[in-house]
Amino acid sequence: MRTLISIRLRNAAVLLVLATMLCFTLVVSAPGNVAVLIAELRSPKATFEQIRAVEEELGLNDPLVVRYGNWLGSALKGDLGVSYKTGESIGPALAGRLHVTGILVAGGAIFAMILSFTLGFIGALMPGSIGDATTRIIALLGASMPSFFVGALLIYGLAVELRLLPTFGSAGLSSWIMPWMTIGLLPAAVLSRVVRVGLEEAMARPFALTASAKGLSRGRIIFRHALPNIAPTYINALGAQGGAMVVGAVVVEPLFALKGVADLFLQGVLFRDFMVVQACLLVFLTSFIILNLLVDIGMMFSDPKLRRQGANA
Amino acid sequence: MTGALLQVRNLTVDLFTARTALRPVDGVSYSVQSGETLAIVGESGSGKTVSNFAPLGLMPTGVVADIHGSILFDGTELVGMPEKQLRRIRGGGIGTIFQDPMSALNPALRVGRQIAEVGELHLGLTSMQAEARALELLKLVRMSDPEARLRQYPHELSGGLRQRAMIAIAIAGEPKLLVADEPTTALDVTVQAQIIALLKDLQQRLNMAIVLITHDMGVVAGTASKVVVMYAGRVAEYGTAEQVLLEPRHPYTQGLIAALPLPEDPPGSPFRGLPGAPPILGAPVKACAFASRCPLVLENCTKAVPQLLSISGVSATACHVVNASRLKEPANA
Repeated sequence: MRTLISIRLRNAAVLLVLATMLCFTLVVSAPGNVAVLIAELRSPKATFEQIRAVEEELGLNDPLVVRYGNWLGSALKGDLGVSYKTGESIGPALAGRLHVTGILVAGGAIFAMILSFTLGFIGALMPGSIGDATTRIIALLGASMPSFFVGALLIYGLAVELRLLPTFGSAGLSSWIMPWMTIGLLPAAVLSRVVRVGLEEAMARPFALTASAKGLSRGRIIFRHALPNIAPTYINALGAQGGAMVVGAVVVEPLFALKGVADLFLQGVLFRDFMVVQACLLVFLTSFIILNLLVDIGMMFSDPKLRRQGANA
Repeated sequence: MTGALLQVRNLTVDLFTARTALRPVDGVSYSVQSGETLAIVGESGSGKTVSNFAPLGLMPTGVVADIHGSILFDGTELVGMPEKQLRRIRGGGIGTIFQDPMSALNPALRVGRQIAEVGELHLGLTSMQAEARALELLKLVRMSDPEARLRQYPHELSGGLRQRAMIAIAIAGEPKLLVADEPTTALDVTVQAQIIALLKDLQQRLNMAIVLITHDMGVVAGTASKVVVMYAGRVAEYGTAEQVLLEPRHPYTQGLIAALPLPEDPPGSPFRGLPGAPPILGAPVKACAFASRCPLVLENCTKAVPQLLSISGVSATACHVVNASRLKEPANA
């Protein structure tokens, strides 16, 4: 087990370096020039010479390899550079925003888990019932609606019309409810199908008949016998949806005026502030890698066959 | 036959799925005394399994079973019993062993837990007591290294060990009747013998009756005191093991026994199978279902369903030909 995790961590480090390289290349080769924007900020009618001066100042004319090397060198020392736009150090700015995105995604994931299990169990306990049909419709709607639409709908319904919840901000639990629902609805819809279909398949397997021959009730067979069998599939799907939620934060954070990492990323993209973009991407990539590691560990714990392999690795 | 542990009378099962309706069991009767073994033999699809599982409510999801007739188990009528009471019988009064021990055990749960939960449910044990009892049961089914087995998962056990675990589960509720559905079919020949020996041993120790569903005549000869031969959902022949195996009277039973490979057969000799195939179980046929494959077939065989006729001293047979000759010269022996 421990060896397996250390192997995964080593792989993750290599993966992280390769991924940042790719991101660096993509961001730098994207159209638009930050030097033009900065020069225009300093004097609205910047001359070509002034722009060249800014480029020189920022080191934009160095070869790509040198620029990446410089960036990686200081990043390893904990220095993520300064924002081209504000001149602020990016590290502290990012650190002050991490918890916002963290709460958003974690809360959304918990919301998605609760909702998906509720919907999935209703369907599995009473297959073919009205409840089952309702859960299917909710899942279909949830999976079909983009999060910006869901968010707008929630804001209109819960905040504007019913005046139950604040429309934005991150003060107190009530302001988090809508962002969590917005970011968690699609994963909840997808995961509810994983639960429903997984339980149905498990209940059709011979061990469910054995459990029935023991005299267990349908409810107990579902919870005690079928559920442990869908755990690996569910954890895997949850990991994939978790990744999707980190990406979804780019939409949800601006919608609810949350000052998180995704919001910073968006600002960086708009200003071609690629030091900020690169730092945000580093955070996203790291979170993906941690997520995948957690999924692997979770799979190992939930699947007896994988657990023994892990112990022997 | 009063005082029988299991008394099945005129049992008929109709199965309805989304697409089809079948009658896999049609007017079956037999009885099992406590502590004895009854073997039900027949080809695949002859209704052996369904006749035992459908009345217990053990059907795959999506299949609706319509059951007529009567099954008295220990004095209680099982046909029409509400599911809630039936659950107490399943695993409690009647234990069940399935054909394939790999798929019948839950791959995600430890063996010990799967055994222990039966004790918790039917004997009202705490989980500690049930775990302790699971250990005893593993010793009882002669599992090597039982302490370690308790904490293992099914995939870590061999086929024979899995079937022993399955047997431990089946007897964990202290059943009076054990229904074993082809318990040795999925196992190696050497392991088959061990499992049969184990079942016989457990039967004596725990005074269980066993309904053994099989198509292995060797197993029947070694274990059963009574035999039901089923063909196309009906009882073809019913009698003691000696009667049915040594003096089979129904042409189907005779064909089954003649089909057994003999030690003196030269290598490479062809199998003596029965010609033809069993009928598809759709609407009940108003004729002898075996008529198309029968060497003795008479005109009457395609016109009326033969009734199971019991005569003392010999096996009861549902065959026009056999029964006609019996009636002409009444048995005096």
